[in-house]
Amino acid sequence: MKSKRLLAGPYLFWSVSFVVIPLLVIVYYAFTNDEGGFTFSNLAQITTAENLKALGLSILLSLVSTVVCLLLAYPLAMILSQNNVSQTSFIVLIFILPMWMNFLLRTMAWQTLLEKNGVINSILEFLHLPALEIINTPAAIILGMVYNFLPFMVLPIYNVLVKIDPNVLNAARDLGANSVQTFLKVTLPLSIPGVISGITMVFVPALTTFVISDLLGGGKILLIGNVIEQSFKQNSNWHVGSGLSLVLMVFIIASMAMVAKYDKEDGGAAF
Amino acid sequence: MIKKSIQKVYLALIFILLYAPIVTLMVLSFNESRTRAKWGGFTLKWYQELFKNEQIMSAFYTTLVIAFLAAAAATVIGTAASIAIQGMKQRWRTMYMGLTNIPMMNAEIVMGVSLMLLFIALRMTLGFGTILIAHITFNIPYVILSVSPKLRQTSRHTYEAALDLGASPLKAFFKVVFPDIVPGVLSGFMLAFTMSLDDFVITHFTKGPGIDTLSTKIYTEVRKGIKPEIYALSTILFVSVLVLLILVNYSPDGKEEEGAKKKVRKPSRAKVIFLRRIVPAAICILFVFGGIYYAGENQMMNSEKVVVYNWGEYIDPEVLTMFEEETGIDVVYEEFETNEILYPKISSGAIAYDAVCPSDYMIQRMMENDLLAEIDFDNIPNIKYIGSQYMEQSRQFDPENKYSVPYCWGTVGILYNKTMVDEPVDSWGILWDEKYRDNILMQDSVRDAFGVALRYLGYSLNSTDLDELTEARDLLIEQKPLVQAYVIDQVRDKMIGNEAAIGVIYSGEAIYTQKENPDLEYVVPKEGSNIWIDSWVIPKNAENKENAEKFINFLCRPDIALMNFEYITYSTPNTEAREMIEDEAIRNSTIAFPDLEELPELETFQYLGQKADETYGELWNQVKSS
Repeated sequence: MKSKRLLAGPYLFWSVSFVVIPLLVIVYYAFTNDEGGFTFSNLAQITTAENLKALGLSILLSLVSTVVCLLLAYPLAMILSQNNVSQTSFIVLIFILPMWMNFLLRTMAWQTLLEKNGVINSILEFLHLPALEIINTPAAIILGMVYNFLPFMVLPIYNVLVKIDPNVLNAARDLGANSVQTFLKVTLPLSIPGVISGITMVFVPALTTFVISDLLGGGKILLIGNVIEQSFKQNSNWHVGSGLSLVLMVFIIASMAMVAKYDKEDGGAAF
Repeated sequence: MIKKSIQKVYLALIFILLYAPIVTLMVLSFNESRTRAKWGGFTLKWYQELFKNEQIMSAFYTTLVIAFLAAAAATVIGTAASIAIQGMKQRWRTMYMGLTNIPMMNAEIVMGVSLMLLFIALRMTLGFGTILIAHITFNIPYVILSVSPKLRQTSRHTYEAALDLGASPLKAFFKVVFPDIVPGVLSGFMLAFTMSLDDFVITHFTKGPGIDTLSTKIYTEVRKGIKPEIYALSTILFVSVLVLLILVNYSPDGKEEEGAKKKVRKPSRAKVIFLRRIVPAAICILFVFGGIYYAGENQMMNSEKVVVYNWGEYIDPEVLTMFEEETGIDVVYEEFETNEILYPKISSGAIAYDAVCPSDYMIQRMMENDLLAEIDFDNIPNIKYIGSQYMEQSRQFDPENKYSVPYCWGTVGILYNKTMVDEPVDSWGILWDEKYRDNILMQDSVRDAFGVALRYLGYSLNSTDLDELTEARDLLIEQKPLVQAYVIDQVRDKMIGNEAAIGVIYSGEAIYTQKENPDLEYVVPKEGSNIWIDSWVIPKNAENKENAEKFINFLCRPDIALMNFEYITYSTPNTEAREMIEDEAIRNSTIAFPDLEELPELETFQYLGQKADETYGELWNQVKSS
C-alpha cells in the first residue's frame, strides 16, 4: 500500500508550490506596508463604510443567486435524472456546452439582450407588453450570476440523483409513502451532498465576481470583487488588495465550514 | 401527461435561458455593422476576415493548446492523487480534500494574483509556461472531484481478487479498477479542458507579452468594442463542438440495440464507424493542423525583435505586418487596458518591453521613477512630421521632449444625441439635469470622472486639495441616481444604439460614433476639460532599444500614421498625415483637429503622487458604493 501513497506525491508537490506558497505570499502582502513593515491596516480596510457595504451587497446578491439557482436546478436535475440514462453524458454536456462560448462574450450578450432598446425589449414592445428595465440594476447582476453558475448547481445534484437506487424509492412507496413523503424522506436527504457542493460552487464564484457586476451592473454597483480588483489594478495597491483578499478568503472558509458540517461524506460528488 | 408537459415546458424555459445569449452571439457574427448595437444587414464577411486575422487565430490556438496540455497534465496528476487519497486513512484524506478545496473556494482573482506574485518573485518569465502552470493548478481539483466519487463506488474486493489470482498490482489496476473509473477520468478531463478554455481572470494575471488566449484578447477588445471576427470564431467553435457531440451521442449506434430487437434494418457498421469515429476524427485533425499552420505563421522568422506594449485596438494590424516585412524585425505585440495596469508591469521589471504607449500623466510618473530611457532622436528622423504644437503640449509632462514621441491625442467632452436633447449643450451641467435621468453615461475611471466634476466646479482637474475633492465627490454622489451606467468602452456602442442621450467620451471615439449614427454631436464644455496625449516611450530595461526607435520612426511616417488614423479614428499629431486625409469633412473636422485656441481651457492630467492617488481611489469608491 506504501507505493500507492506515492501517487499523491506529484499532487502534493504541485499544490504546495502553486497553491499554498502563493497564498503565503498574499498573507505576507496583507500584513505588510510599502516599506515592508508589519501592519494590520490592510485588513482593517474592510471596516470602512464603503467596503463593508460592498461586502454586504456581495453576500446578499450571491445568497439570492444561490437560492435561485437551487430552486431552478433541483427540479431540473430531477427531470433530467428521470429521463433516459443512456444519454447521461449528452445531458451533462448540454450544460457545459455554453462554456465553449467565452464567458466574457456570453455576459456581454446579456447586455445586448437586456438593454433599453435591446432584443428582449424589442420583442416585448412588439407584443405591446411593458418594457423590462433591469439592466444596470442588482437584478441584472443576479440574472448574470444565475446564468453563469446554474450548470454548477445542476450537475452535482443531477449526479447524486441518478445514483439513487430506484429500489429505495420503490421500497418507500411499498411501505405506504406518497410521492411527497418519498421526496422529503428519501430523495432529498440522499441528495444533500450534491446540493452542498452545488451551493459551494455557486456561492463562492458569485461572491467574488467582478466581471459580471461590471458588465451588467453598469459600474454603478460595487461588489467586494470590484473593490479588490480596483486596488490591484487602478490604485496599484497590492497590500490593501491582498488584505481584502485575505479577509474574503477567511470569510469564505468560515461559511463553507458551516455548510460542510451538514455534509457527512466529504463533499465529493461534484461531478 | 400534464406532468410530462409541465416538465417539457420547464426544460424549454431553462434552455432558452442558457442558449439565448449564445444565439445572440451567433446572430451578431452575421451582422454587417461593426458595432453590436446596430443591425447592419446580413454578411459572411467576418468569417472570411477571421481566417486572415492572424492575431485572433493564433490566440485561439494558444487557447486550445494550453487547455489541452493543462487538462492532460491535470488528469494524470489528479487521477494518481485520487487513487492515493482513496487508500488513505480518514485524517489524511480530509487533509488532502481540504487542499483540493482551496483552489475551488478561493476567489479567482486571489489565485491569479498570488501566482503572479510567486512567478515574479521566482524571476520566471511570464508567458506560455506560467499560464500553463496556473491552468494545471486550477484544473487538478476538478479532476479529483470527478474521479474520487467513481473510485468510491469501485469495490476493493475485485481489486484484491485480481491480486489473489496472480495479477500484478499494476495489471490489476488497469484491468479491474481503471475501466470502472474511466467515465470519471474522462469527464474530469473534459471539465478541466472546458474550464481552462473559459478562464479569464487567472490567465490575465499570469500571462506575458506576445501571448494571448481568446479570453485576454477579448478583454483587451472590450475597450473599443468586440471585433465581429471574434463572434464568428466563437460560432464556428460552438457549432463544431455541437456537431461532435451530436455525432458521438446520437449516431445510429445509440439505437442499435433497440433497432436489432425490432428487426429494423440495422445501420451498417461502416456508417456507424463513419459517423462516430471518422467525422469527429476529421474535425479534430482539422483543428490540429489549423493550429500547426497558424503557429507556424506566427513563428519568429527573424532574430531581431521588438517588444511592443500598446492600448487595445490602438494600431492597424496591417501596420505591424508592413513593419515586419520592411525591416525584418519581428514585433512581439501585447495590449493593456489602463495606464494603471501598465505601470506595475513596467516598474517590476518582470518583462522587458521595448516600446510602450502610455498617457501623459503616466509618462510623467515613469520619468519621476526613473523608468524611461532617453530616446535617440537621430534614429527618428520622421519626428519632423509631428506638429510642433504637439511637441509643445508634451512639454507639460516631458519638459525637454527627451523621452516621448506623440502618437495620438484628443479631448474629453460630451457626446449627445440631437433627437433626445432639445437645448444646446455647452456645459458639464447637463450631466446633472434631472430631465435626463437614466440617460447619462459617465466614464468609469477615477481621473476622468473627477475631472468632469472638478472642472464643473471651476477647479483644476489636477486638484489635490481635499476640500475641493470632497466637494467633487459630493457632486458625483448627487449625480449617481441620474446616471444610467459608468462605462469606458461601451459609451460608443450605447450611444450608437440610442441607449442614452448624453455620454462623456474621448474625441477619438466621437468621430467613429458620428459615422455610425449621424444624430450624435460632440462638444467640449465651456468650463474646460482634459486634453490628453498618448506617446511612445522606451523603458530603461528595454533590450532592443534601436529596434524600438525604428518602430517608433516607422509609426511617424505619414502614410503609416494615416493608416492608423483611419483605423483607430483618434486624432493624429502627424500634420503631414492629416494633409493626406482624403475626406475633406474629416480633414477639417473640428472634433478630430480642433483649433486649440478656440477651445475652452484644456488641461493635461498630471501624476499627483501615490498619496493623492489613494485619496482619489478612496473617494471614488465612496461614490461607487453610495
